[in-house]
Amino acid sequence: MMNADETSSISVAGLSKSYGPEGSLRALDDFTLEFPAGQCTVLLGPSGCGKTTVLRSIAGLITPDQGRITIGPSTAFDASAGIFAPPEKRRLGMVFQSYALWPHLSVAENIGYPLAASGLPKAEIRGRTETMLEWVGLSGMGGRYVHELSGGQQQRVSLARAIVGNPRAILFDEPLSNLDARLRERMRMELLALRQRTAFTSIYVTHDQLEAMTLGDRVVVMRSGRIEQVDTPQNVYKRPRTRFTADFMGIPNLIDGVVRTVAKDRIAVDTALGTLSVQSWRSDWKVGDHCTVAVRPTLITFASGEESEARTGRVVRSVFLGTSTVHEIDISGTAITLESFSEERHDDGATVAVKPAAGAIFALLDD
Amino acid sequence: MTASSRAAAAGPQVGRRSLGWEHALFSTIAAAAVVMVSYPVLLVFLRSVSTEDIGSPLTLEWLQALADSGRSREALVNTAIYTVGSSTLAMVLGVGLSFLSTRTDIPGSRLLGLMAVLPILVPPFILVVGWVALADPNAGLINIAASAVLGGRTVAVNINTMAGLIWMTGLFLTPYVYLLVSAGFRNSDPAMEEAARVCGASRLRLLMTVILPVQRPALLAALLLVVIMSAGDFIIPSTVGLKARIYMLPSLIWQNSSSFPTRPGLAAAQSLVLVVIGLVCIYFQRRALGRGGRYTLLGGKGAGASLFPLGPLRYPLAAIALVFTLCSSVLPILSVSAMAFMRFWAPYAMKPENLTLRNFRYMLFEYPQVWPSAQHSLLLGTLGATLCILLAITLAWYVIRMQGRFSRLVEYAMVIPLGVPGIALGVGILSLWILVPGGIYGTLWILLLAYVTAHIPVAIQFVSSAIHRIHTDLEDASRISGRSLLGTLRRINLPLMRPALIGAWLLIYVVILREISLVILLYNPNTIVLSVGLMDVWGSGFYPELAVYSLLLMVLGLIPVMLLFRFAKFSAE
Repeated sequence: MMNADETSSISVAGLSKSYGPEGSLRALDDFTLEFPAGQCTVLLGPSGCGKTTVLRSIAGLITPDQGRITIGPSTAFDASAGIFAPPEKRRLGMVFQSYALWPHLSVAENIGYPLAASGLPKAEIRGRTETMLEWVGLSGMGGRYVHELSGGQQQRVSLARAIVGNPRAILFDEPLSNLDARLRERMRMELLALRQRTAFTSIYVTHDQLEAMTLGDRVVVMRSGRIEQVDTPQNVYKRPRTRFTADFMGIPNLIDGVVRTVAKDRIAVDTALGTLSVQSWRSDWKVGDHCTVAVRPTLITFASGEESEARTGRVVRSVFLGTSTVHEIDISGTAITLESFSEERHDDGATVAVKPAAGAIFALLDD
Repeated sequence: MTASSRAAAAGPQVGRRSLGWEHALFSTIAAAAVVMVSYPVLLVFLRSVSTEDIGSPLTLEWLQALADSGRSREALVNTAIYTVGSSTLAMVLGVGLSFLSTRTDIPGSRLLGLMAVLPILVPPFILVVGWVALADPNAGLINIAASAVLGGRTVAVNINTMAGLIWMTGLFLTPYVYLLVSAGFRNSDPAMEEAARVCGASRLRLLMTVILPVQRPALLAALLLVVIMSAGDFIIPSTVGLKARIYMLPSLIWQNSSSFPTRPGLAAAQSLVLVVIGLVCIYFQRRALGRGGRYTLLGGKGAGASLFPLGPLRYPLAAIALVFTLCSSVLPILSVSAMAFMRFWAPYAMKPENLTLRNFRYMLFEYPQVWPSAQHSLLLGTLGATLCILLAITLAWYVIRMQGRFSRLVEYAMVIPLGVPGIALGVGILSLWILVPGGIYGTLWILLLAYVTAHIPVAIQFVSSAIHRIHTDLEDASRISGRSLLGTLRRINLPLMRPALIGAWLLIYVVILREISLVILLYNPNTIVLSVGLMDVWGSGFYPELAVYSLLLMVLGLIPVMLLFRFAKFSAE
């Protein structure tokens, strides 16, 4: 099946790409990153952040303006040396958002296509295609045509086609965005199982933070053609470095504060929510600095009025979401979102007391 | 990494998609194609201001002659009347038929739609011979019937008049209007109309304020198309038109180029008039179609488009519509067929004892020109259609996918032949190749070149829309799977485009087979093709033989259409 020693690291250095007249639109700005062998690197960001440009540059589907791309031992692209290996020479596999399955070929012919392209004998193609079909749970469906398959099955065929030729790395271009929510959930778990079975180099582009958390060994948050943060999924989730990352990772509460005390790696910040214990990536904070703290709605709780660290506010509205209830609360002019998993309800306009969750450490943003 | 792609990528513009030798190959072909479609126009102009062949001293003598000669002025006026008349007729019939068949509750609307496009398969000379058989003042079937009913010698209809010419051309052009307009009517978004109805618009108001205005780009495009086609039409002006002594520009160009004393300079000047009219029309037509995009793309499925109730007019309108569609296909074919079996053709000859198969035997087995010219036609039709498609794939790929530096130029240039009438294109091609000793002049190759030049726009239209329908991911996936660009074209694009390619091939094949004006100046006795042979038989004036000949032409055109349709159906399953 997947041959682990075929898998290669990819390195990208100084990649830039502009579009439009006179290169007015900068899609990628001096992008440099190592993609270690056997790991899954997730490129995460909103549309237009350049994540797809990185992926398609590595695939050889677009030619960057500047920079170098090395796949395993060979240079696939080098602007200054004038090297450009066409996509068919790069030995990669790719899973497309649109599946990109060929409607005029059967499922088996779709999967066996990369093998046929490399000129393998028919018997071997048939054998390996059969193994692949079994492996993605589509045994006996090789003779069908693509339109006879469900969306999830099509995505599996697409995955099998990307893997069958023992590529040096597999590129995923938002592979789950076209599926409905339940199927997306299931395919995410299947991809995770696949990752755990075999270590292969993969680059996964998505705008869905859940996919990034589940599948990434590393998450690269991108913004307007540049890297915003590279980190483990846990750190990107818990310790966003910037406002942009915090916002993109779904933290609505970016609260202004003033640094109160600075210890070694613990800083205390005065905010509308009281004094918060925070961690920062920056080390040059001084007492009295103005700053911003990212506060997850789940890390604030309701308090009884007597507790000293509690702050009172007015409920603007509360929205019942099923497993949780989201409250918008106004604390002396600062809007705070609080997510509570208890059944307790508060009428709009009611006065409530809130406090940070016990022991919570918040992320102090760089900017 | 191959050496060639390295070399290409090292060029001055690394930012562009550097594709190496494939890119170079496609660009070279594109450049050659631009030259191919543009030099005839240039040479028509040059020839009209040269005393002799291109390269001789310049003169305004021919343009002067164009303005001075009474014949030229007469032809200009006639061409104008003919163009206005037949375009108007075609627009009224085409728009009327398409509206009736798509947007009203007329009985048999599907049959009507089919009958309206059927004449596209009927070559124009069938229409000509058929209507001569029907409406000749002496021996036309309609006039014989009228005389029998009314007594004496009654000429109810006369095809040898301007009205007769306009009638035939209008019928011939109607299906083109129908095709351009009916799609828009059928696909118009019902929500737009429902919105207007909800706002309180009556049905008539709806028609005037929503339905027709939305179709304006399509209507304008259809109008300009029929104006170009009728102004440059050759066959009707040079057969019935010359017989009726109604001179028009295309028939004069032919006479000035081929009948003694030849005046090629004047022919070029007259061609120039047609080319200018054609290119101006094409310019506006492209603009209309370009703007049309934003209208027609709005279209929904059209399934719920409301039908206009015709009330008591349902059946009378259906009958009238049916008569018109019969006039352009079934009726002429029937009358040509009847004529083909006549021993000779005269008012008093319409008797059973005058029926014979002799005409068939003579035309098919004894007439010396028929088999050589049939072979040439089939060869050129097959080769021409195939080359057109291959070239169109290359050009469309260059324009759409490679988006090379000159793709806009190529895109615009490939429209030129649409605006150049066949006879004028012939003048332009001739003006160049007559200068090249030992070149392709006088061979079948010059005919092939003319066919490919004239029909490349249609081929590109088919191929482009087919390429646009293929998601680039399908090609990218193949490249990443290890197939080169050409391998991807062969394994992915060609199979996916096959229905469109077959359709385009058939259309071009059929049109090449019936094409006369394009090659009438380029052929010689050794390279004669079937359609041109028709002009000889017409000149002989023996109508039953002419009837057999035109039936033969129609059948040869239809055989591959039927074969390929069966094949296409078979392979689709």
